[in-house]
Amino acid sequence: MKLIGRRLIQMILILIVASIILFIIFDSDTFKMRIALAELGNFGVSAMDPDDYKAWLVKKGLDIPFYQRFALWVGNVLQGDLGWSFEKNTAVGPLLWAALKNTGILAFWVFALMVPLSLILGVLAGMREGSRLDRSISFISVFTTSIPEIATAIILTVIFALGLKWLPTKSAMISGFDGWQLMLPVMTLVLYDFGYVARMTRASMAEVMTSQYIRTAVLKGLPYRRVILRHALRNALIAPFTVIVLQLNWLLSGVVVVEVFFEYKGFGKLLLEAALFGDIYVVQACTLVAVIVAVTSQIISDIGYTFLNPRIRFA
Amino acid sequence: MNRREFVRIAALTGLAAGTAYAMAGLADPVMAAETGNLPFPADEADAQSGGILKVAMQIQKMEDPATYSWVEMSNQTRHLLEYLAMTGPDNITRPMLAESWSASDDLKTWTFNIRKGVMWHNGDELTAEHIKWNVERWTDPAIGSSNVGLSSISALVEEVDSGEKDDKGNAKMVKKLRDGAITLVDSHTIQFNLSKPVLSFPEDMYNYPTAILHPSFTPPFSDNPIGTGAYGLAELAVGDKCILKRITKTTDGKDFTYWGGKVYLDEIHYYNFDEDNQLTAFAGGDVDAIYEFSIEQMELAKAVEGNIIAARTAQTLCCRMRVTEPPFDDIRVRKAIVMACDNAAIKALVYPEGGDIGENHHVAPVHPEYFELPPIKRDVEGAKALLKEAGKENLEVTIDVGNTDGPWHQSVAEAMRDQLKDAGITLNVNVMPASNYWEIWAKTGFGATAWTHRPLGTMVLSLGYRTGVPWNESAFASAEFDAALDAAEATLDVEERRAKMETVEKILQDAAVMVQPLYRPVYTITSKKVHGYPAHPTQYHQFNKVWMSA
Repeated sequence: MKLIGRRLIQMILILIVASIILFIIFDSDTFKMRIALAELGNFGVSAMDPDDYKAWLVKKGLDIPFYQRFALWVGNVLQGDLGWSFEKNTAVGPLLWAALKNTGILAFWVFALMVPLSLILGVLAGMREGSRLDRSISFISVFTTSIPEIATAIILTVIFALGLKWLPTKSAMISGFDGWQLMLPVMTLVLYDFGYVARMTRASMAEVMTSQYIRTAVLKGLPYRRVILRHALRNALIAPFTVIVLQLNWLLSGVVVVEVFFEYKGFGKLLLEAALFGDIYVVQACTLVAVIVAVTSQIISDIGYTFLNPRIRFA
Repeated sequence: MNRREFVRIAALTGLAAGTAYAMAGLADPVMAAETGNLPFPADEADAQSGGILKVAMQIQKMEDPATYSWVEMSNQTRHLLEYLAMTGPDNITRPMLAESWSASDDLKTWTFNIRKGVMWHNGDELTAEHIKWNVERWTDPAIGSSNVGLSSISALVEEVDSGEKDDKGNAKMVKKLRDGAITLVDSHTIQFNLSKPVLSFPEDMYNYPTAILHPSFTPPFSDNPIGTGAYGLAELAVGDKCILKRITKTTDGKDFTYWGGKVYLDEIHYYNFDEDNQLTAFAGGDVDAIYEFSIEQMELAKAVEGNIIAARTAQTLCCRMRVTEPPFDDIRVRKAIVMACDNAAIKALVYPEGGDIGENHHVAPVHPEYFELPPIKRDVEGAKALLKEAGKENLEVTIDVGNTDGPWHQSVAEAMRDQLKDAGITLNVNVMPASNYWEIWAKTGFGATAWTHRPLGTMVLSLGYRTGVPWNESAFASAEFDAALDAAEATLDVEERRAKMETVEKILQDAAVMVQPLYRPVYTITSKKVHGYPAHPTQYHQFNKVWMSA
């Protein structure tokens, strides 16, 4: 409980600092001008005299000093109002939840495929370090992880969508939800990420396999299968567990490239568009969510770690 | 005068284009067969009604059509709001909400006869009073409409002392509509009394922010989308989709009758796809048509089943120098830069398929009044000599590039960099995000700015090169040029005007304010089941006669 409390305080502090920094950045004349240009066009802005521009700032509520806007924003957020999107002309709340839902669906399928795949391959590779199977799995893992997501996305699109025509090219879901359109983004993310988790699992498994108690179990004549399943796995999975939980973070904000490439309307795409437009309240809301997910995944990781490894206790 | 020009002039003076085509003996074409003087293409004999056309395009806000700054916004609106005139894919302007128009001999008085029986979506009938309300609104400084920069509208306003002083104590001037600039002749006739001759009044009336709004309008348009078009706004989600559906009932439940003849599509769906993703979305079958694909994607387009449509345009890139900023305030420096560049070579490198070579005076071969000056010749030695004379040997300059129209801007700048090296000029290419470029486009000393197509060459020159106009990004100021342009704009006859354009083009070319290597074509693609899709040089979507086969 102490740990959770500490983490929550940490989360609130991060939230406050991050949002203040963002308010300061977006309070700059450059960002305000960017919003004006995006909204009024080049001519509209160039035709305005300073008084017109001031009137526009007042209309948008951007004339208020940032600390007052920040206080106002905090008050509104506490009441569940995340603000208004300058770019999309709509309330931020529904926009954010729709994007989060989409990214949640994507993350679910990535996890559902990536976790078993990487654990199985990692364990198989780590069981017999240096074997042909180990070398093959390690090569594939390093190979897929070292290719940037954008390159994987292009390669998969060319092969499966444009070439074989088995899958849709984009994931915009313009006619409603379509599982087929999820395939390429999921494949891209799984290919990119499974290698990393598999390598971590392999390293952990290989280390466990060299420990004294495993050697003892083998020498005692226990069946190899039982040694692996009953004795090695639990300890070997401690390190990968932490890594897997922390992938939640990556799936939330690290998938911008994949979401933008496939036109998938998720959290990453929303964040990128908002940042480019200078849509401060959307960026703030996304930051809130990103920090909450980051700290929550850290808490889950810590608790899980403690649970899996009773030797670990946090002061 | 060739026959096409005759048709244009006839249309300009209010003669139905169908009649004009017949008088010119042209067998046309696509746009000529008009029923009841409509501006749209003729109905195809086998055209089928029904269907949903899905188009990939960026989906933007629909706030105030008079201040629109993107063509995409206007395309979303174009099926709801209409214009006094319509410039077709053949670059000929015809009456739209106006039934006809006439100009006085001195081109200072334009009279528009407004079409009768045009119904707004709320059941009101369109009148000349509504047009007056719109034009007055465009001239209101508080609205900030770019329409005031059009030759026609700028000739309706005057600068007056606002009674206020600026920070330096100088009188603050504001532009306001001149007394008597607009006269309502009757309920369907409106007269514009201009302070100077203007040739392009009808063409100006299809400039994308000149859509005619109902006087009940308050922004955002998407909240109360009342227009005269065949479609209504069913749904708008910025960055996602814009759904348009045929209007059958007015807002108060009466039957809605569209004035513009038969329209085929039941619905038009725009879906948000970033420009780079549109062609792949099309290849995957998500959409039936796209807004545009770039030259870099041509090979992919050829590999996909569909109809590639290319439009010859006056869209261009002006690598312009600001004549008030050092070192470009020295004409010898500007001339050296222009002389060291080979426009033809740059065009061949960047746009090998289609397009025209630019001649540094911003009048394109597709413009009716284009005068062909002697071809520009690259002169590296001449450039070196000029730099020596100016004491600017080993000149180093930086060009800002925003790639606002695609990465080909950067390719142009890089080709220039390599060519300028031969004259001892170092050109640094400063690539920046497009949004950042639009913040500095009118201020930077040396910048690569994309200019869209306009039907007449005089229109773009008026917007971009007249002394002191807001979009004069090069700060070029020449009384001689302004006078020559005035004279050209006062001439209706194309042959006579072309002769006058020689001087205009020559003054601008000799002033060496820009390296303008090319005019690019624009490409789009549609599926085989889409028919009658217009290849408009400004990518304006007017889908009245587009239909889908089963």
